[in-house]
Amino acid sequence: MEVLSPYKEAADVILEAGGEPLKLCYQCGLCTGICPWNMVRSFLVRRIMHEAQLGATNFGSEDVWTCVTCRACVQRCPRGVEIIDVMRAVRRAVASLGLGIVPDALRISAKNIAGVGNPLGEAPEKRNDWAKDLKVKNFASGTEILYFPCCVPSYDADVKTVARSSVTIFNKLKINYGLIGTEVKCCGESIRKAGHEDTFQSLAKNNINLFASNGVKTVVAASPHCYHTFKNEYPELGGKFEVIHITQYLASLIEQGKLKLSKEVNKKVIYSDPCYLGRHNSVYDEPRKVLQSIPGLELLEFPDAREEGLCCGGGGGRIWMDTPKGERFSDIRVEQAAAKGADVIALACPYCFLNYRDSVLSMGKAETMQVRDVGELVAEAMSI
Amino acid sequence: MSFEPKIVGFLCNWCSYAGADLAGISRLKCAPNVHIIRMMCSGGISPFFILKALEAGADGVLICGCNLGDCHYREGNYKTIRRMTLLKKVLGQLGIEQERVQLHWVCASCGDEFVDVVNRMTADIKELGPSRLGVKSRDLTR
Amino acid sequence: MEKVKIGVYVCHCGTNIAGTVDVEEVAKYAETLPYVVVARHYPYTCSDPGQELIKKDIKELGVNRIVVASCSPRLHEKTFQGVLREAGLNPYLFQMANIREQCSWLHEPGPELTEKAKRMVGAAVNRVARHVPLEIRAVPIFPATLVVGGGIAGMQAALEIANSNHMVYIVEREPSIGGHMAQFDKTFPTLDCAACILTPRMTEVSRHPFIRILTYSEVVAISGYVGNFKVKIRRKPRYVDEGKCIGCLVCQEKCPWTALSEFNAGTGKRKAIYTPFAQAVPNIPVIDTEHCAYFLKGKCRACEKFCDANAINFEQSELVFELEVGNIIMATGFDTFEASSVPQYGYGRYPNVFTSIEFERLCSPTGPTEGHIILADGRQPESVAIVHCVGSRDKNYNEYCSRVCCMHALKYSHLIKEKTNAEIYQMYIDMRCFGKGYEEFYNRISNEGVNFIRGKVAKVTDEAIAEEEKGKLIVLVEDTLLGTMLRVPVDMVILCIALEPRKDANEVAQLFHIGRSADGFFLERHPKLDPVATMSEGILIAGCCQGPKDIPDSVAQASAAAARALAMIARGKIEVAAVTASIDETKCSGCRICNLLCPYDAIFFDEETKVSRINEVLCQGCGVCAAACPSGAITHNYFTADEIEAEIEGVLA
Ligand SMILES: Cc1cc2nc3c(=O)[nH]c(=O)nc-3n(C[C@H](O)[C@H](O)[C@H](O)COP(=O)(O)OP(=O)(O)OC[C@H]3O[C@@H](n4cnc5c(N)ncnc54)[C@H](O)[C@@H]3O)c2cc1C
Ligand code: SF4
Ligand code: SF4
Ligand code: SF4
Ligand code: SF4
Ligand code: FES
Repeated sequence: MEVLSPYKEAADVILEAGGEPLKLCYQCGLCTGICPWNMVRSFLVRRIMHEAQLGATNFGSEDVWTCVTCRACVQRCPRGVEIIDVMRAVRRAVASLGLGIVPDALRISAKNIAGVGNPLGEAPEKRNDWAKDLKVKNFASGTEILYFPCCVPSYDADVKTVARSSVTIFNKLKINYGLIGTEVKCCGESIRKAGHEDTFQSLAKNNINLFASNGVKTVVAASPHCYHTFKNEYPELGGKFEVIHITQYLASLIEQGKLKLSKEVNKKVIYSDPCYLGRHNSVYDEPRKVLQSIPGLELLEFPDAREEGLCCGGGGGRIWMDTPKGERFSDIRVEQAAAKGADVIALACPYCFLNYRDSVLSMGKAETMQVRDVGELVAEAMSI
Repeated sequence: MSFEPKIVGFLCNWCSYAGADLAGISRLKCAPNVHIIRMMCSGGISPFFILKALEAGADGVLICGCNLGDCHYREGNYKTIRRMTLLKKVLGQLGIEQERVQLHWVCASCGDEFVDVVNRMTADIKELGPSRLGVKSRDLTR
Repeated sequence: MEKVKIGVYVCHCGTNIAGTVDVEEVAKYAETLPYVVVARHYPYTCSDPGQELIKKDIKELGVNRIVVASCSPRLHEKTFQGVLREAGLNPYLFQMANIREQCSWLHEPGPELTEKAKRMVGAAVNRVARHVPLEIRAVPIFPATLVVGGGIAGMQAALEIANSNHMVYIVEREPSIGGHMAQFDKTFPTLDCAACILTPRMTEVSRHPFIRILTYSEVVAISGYVGNFKVKIRRKPRYVDEGKCIGCLVCQEKCPWTALSEFNAGTGKRKAIYTPFAQAVPNIPVIDTEHCAYFLKGKCRACEKFCDANAINFEQSELVFELEVGNIIMATGFDTFEASSVPQYGYGRYPNVFTSIEFERLCSPTGPTEGHIILADGRQPESVAIVHCVGSRDKNYNEYCSRVCCMHALKYSHLIKEKTNAEIYQMYIDMRCFGKGYEEFYNRISNEGVNFIRGKVAKVTDEAIAEEEKGKLIVLVEDTLLGTMLRVPVDMVILCIALEPRKDANEVAQLFHIGRSADGFFLERHPKLDPVATMSEGILIAGCCQGPKDIPDSVAQASAAAARALAMIARGKIEVAAVTASIDETKCSGCRICNLLCPYDAIFFDEETKVSRINEVLCQGCGVCAAACPSGAITHNYFTADEIEAEIEGVLA
């Protein structure tokens, strides 16, 4: 007879991560059917769950790294299986127990994060360079809000505008905010999903201590990924502070009448829900409220919006891995946006920004379809 | 040895006692500290029974009845609420902590809730330590 | 008073107790307690030899108080009280210690279990020493029965009782009896025509001299207790005089106003004056004031003009009256799941996505399409997908299995095959065909050629990506046995929606003082041994109001409920638990606090003697009054202050 579980230890780790609900999986296959991968290639989520139940996981398979942790399946699973936790545990078994091969691209990002605290491998002391010319203060005692821009806008030349537009808005409104010093590191959300638990733990500890020693009480995060881990994962490790996503913050400023949008932005804008803002944290309305407050702007919706929103393809560490053309969700999204007659795809996540930018460029649509962050559009409507 | 509180639980026959039975039938496990006394209705639990229990050495008293609206005798549990509010005042005057006497609704299909209530209450009382009233009367009898 | 001699019996309950509690030690400990003359432990105390043991001790050792330490009193208190009675002892000289449900099963194994059991036994001994004999009362019962709900279950129960010449009232909220079964064309597993078995039943019920049908009516209040319920009924106005109407239905024909037909699950129209279906019982229409032009705009009255019998009466008002009954059988059935709450299945967005109930109406010769299985545009479907478990077996909706949908899904396969050439796909998670003749039915339908796909449907969409998908609904599902995603293009999708508790189940449960289980259906007294009774004496349940079930099970449960009611009627009297309250007139100060507290109005003030008195027939023994009496004048029998305090001291010993 075939021996099913050569790595009892790994099998146990996965079973444990899946917890009670994994045992409850009754193999209905709904998750496979829901998973967006099956629009472009076969990815049998159900099968992975069954393998995990039996301790028969194929650690060498490419499928180990496929899930984008978009949560579409978890949201509908009739038995409440935490599918993403299982995916994470499988990756953890590979990454820490060496049961399979970590894809090259991911290995480099992981090494960068562990080494210099950001996936791009850039120098830590350059972290706040994006804001050099913008008169941004460092967080000090008495500062109300910490603005946390995420590694991507901090270092990526194209995505910088996400962070720059936000602080320009803050400056104009005289918000009492600051940036934290360059000792801060990547939030660790994605590398954790990619199975590098130890790295995550050390990043989180570093940041929690840094925030605590600076007396940070409120963080406004540019990325839904940072937002998610700060809000839902850091508290277990002792990180207790209020976390607000930038779109929520802008919406509240508008509501309080502090932020007034006067300049017309005459564009047809379609908003793409980031998985970590939408399905992971049920924030659907605020970004839309912000966009709707912009005069002249016509807000369109994707055929699958809100709870059904399609992932950009960048979650779960996939942002660092290569996805072959023909399998990119953001490409599908760009087509859908064009079919709806949109001129602008509005985003609220730096990962989405990277993926959509690449799609628009590689599809040769840069002329007809703009990729903009919600904050950028707001800044435009403030004439700044 | 760590402090193991003694808690007297008055449970109405129709919902809460049935709920406790269900917890057992479902093989749920809870702390053994609550000693259950079956009553017909939570509305029939005289404040004197509660005081008596405290005086006889209980570190806490748990009262369970049906969910509001589900009382077998229609509105017995509303009377329980009123009575408890008054009793809490008296307890305050006697210097007994509020948490020592707790009222919870446990329905006939709420086995897991019962277990939860028992565990939480046991933890609460452990934190409070032995009841002074009980200690005093225990000393007196000695 | 005779000297107190207590016998203690510690039960092993096989290993259920003895496995974790040292029963021998508990018995030994009991022997050391005051007044205890004998303490034994025994494998199954509730068994015949166990009972004999107790009787023997009563006779031979003169034991006059009994403590049994075993399971819950809710299970066996009556059993053991019976033993006392048979041995000539008053059944209230008894106390149970619940060392199974609330000890051996409820705590982690360890030495503490035995200690706890000892304390529980000690408390029971302490308490039973203070018990006094109580008088057992019997009260006559009203022989009439009320059945709430006139579906197949309600009708069955009513007929069983009425056939023994006892009066039954059926209260039905709709204009006609019949329930869900009246909506079906064929029924599984026999595929006999539903109307052919149901219509004669309905007629039998309506003609029965011992049955009175109260349609368009609801129970609004209930008082009293087992054997002596008083039920207040509200009868909505039909605006048609039942005495005069001859059922010609000219009015329905002539009425110019329409509304969506509830009976056809919204797939067809009905008039503003209507009977829900042709075989309605009673065959008397009602006016729906929400759609009648006269009620809306003050003009029309066409029906009145054409009614030769002069039966239309726009002045009719609602009627509230009271009935006296001894037993009540709840048979309020189920509601179906709202399919649009699963947005990805497209119900409400795509006209060719139907619910099972709608499909039943499509199949029915009396339905909106006269039994033709057709699409929204009138074409016959060439392919049909039947989606199982919609709203069932899903923690986002209902966790339970609805039990009948696998079977009606098979039934639909047959009906579709019979009437069209369509290709059929069943998307299922597990096939549940458990009843008599059901597996055989599954066999038969498989043989007729159905495609079975094992997987829960993820999505129904109209977005075609291939030529053959154009104009179709595409069902996305993983075939979990093949391990492949499928896109199945079909013309029609049928959603097998869950059976759910009635939307008003909570209010109805509160009105009748019965419980609901976690799934929302009415709670039975015991899931195995007493599925027809409830926690409220004299209130029984039958059919789908207790949980999803098929017609055979509904009917069987209804007959069982009827038998229970008949047993009580046959006895003529029922013993009422002696657990009541009594007032010591010498202590009562006449403050009257208790008078208002009693939920059964059992306490009255005697103007002559200026003290309160309790009507023992009305008293249900809740003890509220005793707990409130400032003079301590009220005794709650079997729960006296003396007894409870003894138990408190016992558990704290
Ligand atoms: C789509 C579908 C197909 C099915 N096909 C089959 C089949 O082929 N074979 C089979 O064996 N079973 C079948 N079943 C199951 C079957 O419908 C039930 O077993 C049966 O209808 C249960 O009968 P009931 O009397 O308990 O409930 P119901 O039929 O629901 O009747 C309850 C009655 O009570 C009335 N009522 C409700 N509340 C009140 C109130 N408060 N006061 C007064 N009256 C009230 C209602 O108006 C109704 O008339 C099917 C079920 C569904 C959903
Ligand atoms: S949806 Fe949930 S229950 Fe169904 S196969 Fe996937 S994990 Fe298992
Ligand atoms: S989380 Fe998203 S990508 Fe991962 S398996 Fe579920 S649906 Fe697929
Ligand atoms: S009977 Fe079949 S279709 Fe209905 S809920 Fe149960 S398994 Fe699903
Ligand atoms: S015990 Fe008292 S309050 Fe309760 S029903 Fe009897 S008389 Fe009424
Ligand atoms: S019967 Fe449970 S509170 Fe009254």
